[in-house]
Amino acid sequence: MTFRTLAFAAALLGAAAAHAADTIKIGMVTPITGPAAESGRFQMNGAKLALEQINKAGGILGRQVELVIEDDQTTNPGAVLAFSKLAGDASIPAFIGSIRSTQVHAMAPDILKTAKPVMIGGTDPQLTRLGNPWLFRFRPNDIYSARVIADYGVNVLKLKKWAIVHSTDAFGTNGMKNLTEALTKLGATIVLTQGYTNNSQDFTPVALAVKQSGADVMGTYMTFEPDQGIFAKQLRQLGVTVSWVGSPTTVTTTALKLAGPALFGSFAVVDFNRDSSPAAKAFADLYESTYKSAPDVFGSWTYDAMTILARAINAAKSTDPEAIRKAILATQGFAGAEGTYNFDQNGDGLHGYNIVRNDNGTIVFDKHVEFKD
Amino acid sequence: MSADARPASPTRRVAGAVVFVVAAAVTIAIPLVQPMPAYSLNLLMQASTYAIAVFGLTIVLGYTGQINLAQAAFFGLGAYSVALGTTTLALPFWVALALGIVLAAVAGAALGLTTLRLGGHYLAMVTISFQTILSLVLTNWIAVTRGPDGISGIKRPAVFGYSFDGSGAYLALCIASLWLVGFLVWRLGRSRLGRRMQAVRDNELAAGVVGVDTYRTKVAAFTLSAVLGGFGGGLFAGGFRYISPDQFSFAESVVFLTMALLGGVRSPFGTALGTALLILLPEWLRFLKVVYLAVYGAAVILIMVFMPEGVWGFVAALVRRVRGPSMETAVPVPVLPLTKETAQGDGTVLLSVRGISKHFGGLKAVDAVDLEVRRNGVHALIGPNGSGKSTLLNVLSGLYVSSGGEIALAGATIGALPPHERAARGLGRTFQNIRLFTAMSVLDNVVVGAERPGNLIDGGHGAHALALAALGFVGLADRAHRAVGSLSYGHQRRVEIARALAGNPTLLLLDEPGAGLNHAEKEELVTLLTRLKGHGLTILIIDHDMNLVEKVADHITVLNFGRRIADGAPGEVLRHPDVIAAYLGQVNARAAA
Amino acid sequence: MGIALQLLFTGLGVGSIYALVALGFVLIYRATNVVNFAQGDFAMLGAFAMVVLCIDLGWPYWLGIVLTVVAMALFGVLFNLGVYYPLRHRSFLPVIISTIGASILLENGVLAAYGPRPQSLPGIFTNQGFSVGPVFFDSQYLSILAVTVVAVALQYLFFERTLLGKKMQAVSQDKEMASLLGIPVALLIMLTFVYSATLGGLAGILVAPILFVSVQMGASIALKAFAASIIGGFGDVTGAIVGGLALGVIETFGAAYVSVPYKDGFAFLVLFVFLLFRPQGIFGERVAEKA
Repeated sequence: MTFRTLAFAAALLGAAAAHAADTIKIGMVTPITGPAAESGRFQMNGAKLALEQINKAGGILGRQVELVIEDDQTTNPGAVLAFSKLAGDASIPAFIGSIRSTQVHAMAPDILKTAKPVMIGGTDPQLTRLGNPWLFRFRPNDIYSARVIADYGVNVLKLKKWAIVHSTDAFGTNGMKNLTEALTKLGATIVLTQGYTNNSQDFTPVALAVKQSGADVMGTYMTFEPDQGIFAKQLRQLGVTVSWVGSPTTVTTTALKLAGPALFGSFAVVDFNRDSSPAAKAFADLYESTYKSAPDVFGSWTYDAMTILARAINAAKSTDPEAIRKAILATQGFAGAEGTYNFDQNGDGLHGYNIVRNDNGTIVFDKHVEFKD
Repeated sequence: MSADARPASPTRRVAGAVVFVVAAAVTIAIPLVQPMPAYSLNLLMQASTYAIAVFGLTIVLGYTGQINLAQAAFFGLGAYSVALGTTTLALPFWVALALGIVLAAVAGAALGLTTLRLGGHYLAMVTISFQTILSLVLTNWIAVTRGPDGISGIKRPAVFGYSFDGSGAYLALCIASLWLVGFLVWRLGRSRLGRRMQAVRDNELAAGVVGVDTYRTKVAAFTLSAVLGGFGGGLFAGGFRYISPDQFSFAESVVFLTMALLGGVRSPFGTALGTALLILLPEWLRFLKVVYLAVYGAAVILIMVFMPEGVWGFVAALVRRVRGPSMETAVPVPVLPLTKETAQGDGTVLLSVRGISKHFGGLKAVDAVDLEVRRNGVHALIGPNGSGKSTLLNVLSGLYVSSGGEIALAGATIGALPPHERAARGLGRTFQNIRLFTAMSVLDNVVVGAERPGNLIDGGHGAHALALAALGFVGLADRAHRAVGSLSYGHQRRVEIARALAGNPTLLLLDEPGAGLNHAEKEELVTLLTRLKGHGLTILIIDHDMNLVEKVADHITVLNFGRRIADGAPGEVLRHPDVIAAYLGQVNARAAA
Repeated sequence: MGIALQLLFTGLGVGSIYALVALGFVLIYRATNVVNFAQGDFAMLGAFAMVVLCIDLGWPYWLGIVLTVVAMALFGVLFNLGVYYPLRHRSFLPVIISTIGASILLENGVLAAYGPRPQSLPGIFTNQGFSVGPVFFDSQYLSILAVTVVAVALQYLFFERTLLGKKMQAVSQDKEMASLLGIPVALLIMLTFVYSATLGGLAGILVAPILFVSVQMGASIALKAFAASIIGGFGDVTGAIVGGLALGVIETFGAAYVSVPYKDGFAFLVLFVFLLFRPQGIFGERVAEKA
C-alpha cells in the first residue's frame, strides 16, 4: 500500500469518526409490533418532528441529534429488553420511554441502575412516587384527570349524583380510585361504581345498572374504543340520558366514528387539544403539514419530551445525567403542545387537563383546568 | 424419546456425562464471572425461566400425550406466590417459591383429576377454562393480587449470606436450575414412570390392560407439569422483579405450547431448543417489523405439516438415517421363567365365569354365559361373527363393566377391578387389532409389560432382563432396539405376546392372534402356543381359524348371539349340531318357514 | 321485571352470535373430527371484507355481501388445502395447533394489511331498533336471531332430506366406509370447509354492526362458541344452537346479578361443571372406543 492510499484511508476514517462524533443519540422505546403498533408510529412521528426542529436550530451542544429506536413489542418483557439494549450503548445520554404505565413499572429497576433520564408518557401517579429520580413525565397523571373530571362535573355542570364506569385494567381501576377520592372531597355522592373487563361484547348489564342507579352524571375510564362505542349506543338505546364526562378515549376519532350520535353532548378530559393553547396550535399545524394527518396525544407528548430534553441538555451544557436531571426539573413555565410545563420535585411536568365537548360530532375545546399542587 | 434407542455403551455414557457437566459448569460460570450487558442478562433470564416451564409440557404432552393449555396459569401461580410472598408477606424467597410450587402442584393435580372422564378436545377445554378463570381472578381480585397494577419490588433470594441480587448471579441461578430440571426430565423419560407415561400416550387402552394405572399416571403428569410451570414462574418473578396479570393469559399458554412443539415436544432437548428459538427469533426478526407475527403464525402451520416432531425431532431423524439401522450385538438372552405355576396342579379351575352378561342398551351382546378355564391348557372360545366373543374378553379384561354375573380368577373375585389391577393379579392379554406402543422400541414395549405391578422382578435391570427373555422366547431378541413400527405384522403380533409373557401371566387371553397372519406365520404361531402350553401356561384364545383351534385347543366353548351353545372337548364340540347350525345356518328353520 | 326481560332479549341476542359461530364449528368437527380454533377469525375476515368493499370502495351493501360470500367460499378452499388437508391423517393435536397457527396468521396478517383501528359497519336496517314497554329490541340482534333460525332450518333440510347432505353425514361418521361406498370424501370435506367459512363470514357481517370490526373480534367469540357447543352437546347442531343461546343468557344474567368483571368467567365455569358431570352436553351421545 502506498503512503497516499494510507493517508487517504486515514482521512476517511478520521472523517467517519468525526462524523460519528457529530451526532448525539437519544434512545427511544416504542411499540413497532404488537397491538399498539399504530400508536407507536405516531409517537415516533412526534419525536422526529421535534428532532427536525432541534437540528434546524443547531442541534444539541452543537451536534445534530439522532433517534435510536427499539421495539418493545407492546409487552412488559419486551419493554425491558428494548430498554436494556439501548442502555447498553454508553453514548446515549437520555431516553424516551413508554406511554404504558405497566411497561414503565417493568423498566423501572433497569432505569434506576442505568441512572440516566427517561422521559415517560404513562399516567399512573405511582410512577413518580417510586423514589426513582430518573423518570420525567410529559403528560398530566391520572390524579389530575380525576380531579378535573370531578371539578368540571360538580362545579361547572353542577351535578352531584355520580356513576363511575371503568375498565378493570390498571388504567381504569386507578382512574376509578382517583375519581372516587376527588368526588368525595368535593362532597358529591357516588351512587354506582361499575367495572367491566376490556373487550366485553355487550354492555346491557352496565347500562341497566347506570339507569337503575338514578345518577345524573357518569364519569368513565374506558381503555378501548369498541367498548366505548358499544356502551354509548346501548346506553342511549335503553333511554339513559345522563351527562357524561369521560377519559380521553371518549373523544378519539375512532370512538366518534363508532358511536356516532350516541356520544353527542358528552364531555371528556384530554391532555392534548389543538385549541387549548397557541403552542398546541403551532404543533398541530406543523404536524399536519408534515404528516398530512391530524395529531393526537401520542405525537404531542413525544414532541414535548424531545423538545424539553434538548433544551435541558443545552442549558446544562453537558451530557452528565445529574446535570440534565437538574435542568429538566428547572423547566418552569414552558409552553408545550400538551400544556405549560412546571416540573415539580417528583418529575411531573403537567398539572392540569383540558375539557372538551362533543358538539354534534365536532370536538370543541371548552376550558383548561390547572392545579397548583 | 427416540424409538431406536440403542443402549449406550459405557464409554458413551461416561462421555455424555462429562459433556453435560462441563457444559453446565461453563454456562453457569460465565454470568458469575463475566459482566454481561443488561440486555443479554434479561434475555437469557427470560429464556431460561420459560424453558423450565416448557419442560413441564414435555412431561405432560410429550411423554404422556395429554394436552395442557393452562401452563401459563401455573407459571402465574408460581410468579404471584414469589411476588406476594416476598413483598406483602415478607417471606424469604425460597419459602415463597416453595409455596408457589405447592400451589401449582395442587392446581395441576386437580386438573389431572378431570382426566378420569375426559380426553382430547374436552381436556383442552377444561385447561382453557381453568386458565381463563385464573386470569380473571388475578386481574380482578385486587385485594389479594393487587389487580392489573401488578406487583413491583419483588425480592431476590440469599443463601447463607450470599445474595443473588446481582443479575449475573441470578442468571447463574436460573441456568443452574435449568440444567437440573432438564436432566431430571431427561431421566424421567427413561424411568419406569416415564415408560408408563409413554404407554398412556401411545395406546391408553393397552396400557391399562398391561398393568399401568393410567389415571394415576395422568394425574402425576399434570402435577409434574404444573410443578415445573410454577418453578419457572417463581424464578421469572425474581428475575424481572415486576409482574402484571396480563403476562399470564391464554395467549402465553399458546406461546409455551408453540415453543414445545416447535422444538419437538417429546424430548427435553427439543423443548429447550424451541424455547430458545422463539425467544431469540423475535429479536433477530425485528427487521420484519409488523409482518413478523404473521410470519410466526405461518411458521407454526408449516412446522406442524413438515416437521411434526419439531426441529429437534427432524434433526434426530436425519442423524438416525445417516447412522443406519442399529447393529445388534449378541447379548446373552436369559431364559424366560414361565414355569412357576405348573406345580399348582393340573386341571383345577383357574378362571370361573358365572352368568356374565353385557348389555348395550337393548342389545344383549353377552347373555348369561358360564365358563370355566382349567389350569395348564388352551381353552378356545369360538363362534360366528357378532356372537359376543370379543365382548366377553373385554369384560374379562375389565375394559367393559359387566351387566351382571361374577368373574373369579384363582378363587378371587375380580369383577369390580379396573384393567390394571386385573393385570396385577396375573391376567395378560393381546388384542385383535395389535395395540403396541408405537413410539417406543420393541424392548421398551415389553419392559412395560414386565413392570406390571405385582410382578416379581429384582430392580430396574431385572425388568430389562425379563423383557429380553420374553423376546428371546418369541424369537425376536435380535430386534430388541428397533422401532416397533418397523417390524412386520407377524412380528409385531409376537412382540405383543412377548409383552404379555413378560408379565408372568397366570392366565393369558389371546384375541384372534391369527388375524392377519399368512399360512407360514400361522404355523409359527401354533408352534409358539404349543410351547407355551408345554411350559404349563393357561391360555384362553379366540380365533376363527378352525384348523388352528383344533391343533392347539384342549377345550372349546362356543358362543352364538351372546349365549353359550356348546362347551367341551374339541372332538365333540366341533361336531355338535348346534355349533354347525350356528356357523352354516339353520336348515330346519328355513324348511319350516 | 322489565330489566329481566331486557336481559333475556340481550342474552338471546348475544347467544345467537355464539350459536351462529358454533354452527360453523360443529360442521367442521362432524366432518373431520377437527376443532377449528380459527373459526372466529372467519367472522373477522368476513367483516373486514365488507369494510373494504362497502366502506373503502363504497360499493352497495347487497353487492358487498355477495362478493364477501364468494370470497369466503374461496378462502374456505384455501384453508382446507393449507391447514387441514396436509394433516388429515394425523391425530387431533397437530391439527389443533395448526388451526391456532392459522388464527395467529390471519389476525396478524389483517393487522399488518389494515392496521389496528376498529371500523364500523352499518347494520341491515337503518333503524336501530324499537322499544316495547321497558324492553329495547335491537334490530341487528333480531336479524341475527332470524338468520340463525333460517340457517338451522336450511341445514336440517339439507342434511336430512337431500342425498348430498346424507353423503356428508356419512363422511362425518365414517370416512373410510364412505369412501368405500364411492363417496368422494375429500371433495365433501372441502365442501364442509367452504360452507363453514361462508357461514363464519356471514356471522361476521351480521355481528360487525354491534361489536365493530377489529382484528380481535373473532377470538373472544370463538372460544365461547366452542364452549357453547360442548355444553349443547359436541357434534350436534341442535346442541350448538341451544348451547349458544343458553350461554348468552347465562352470561348476561350473571353479569347483571353477580359480577360484570367476571362475566367471561361464567361461560367457562358452566363449561367446567358440564365437563365434570355431563361431558356429552345436553344433547350429545357418549362415544366409546372399540377395544
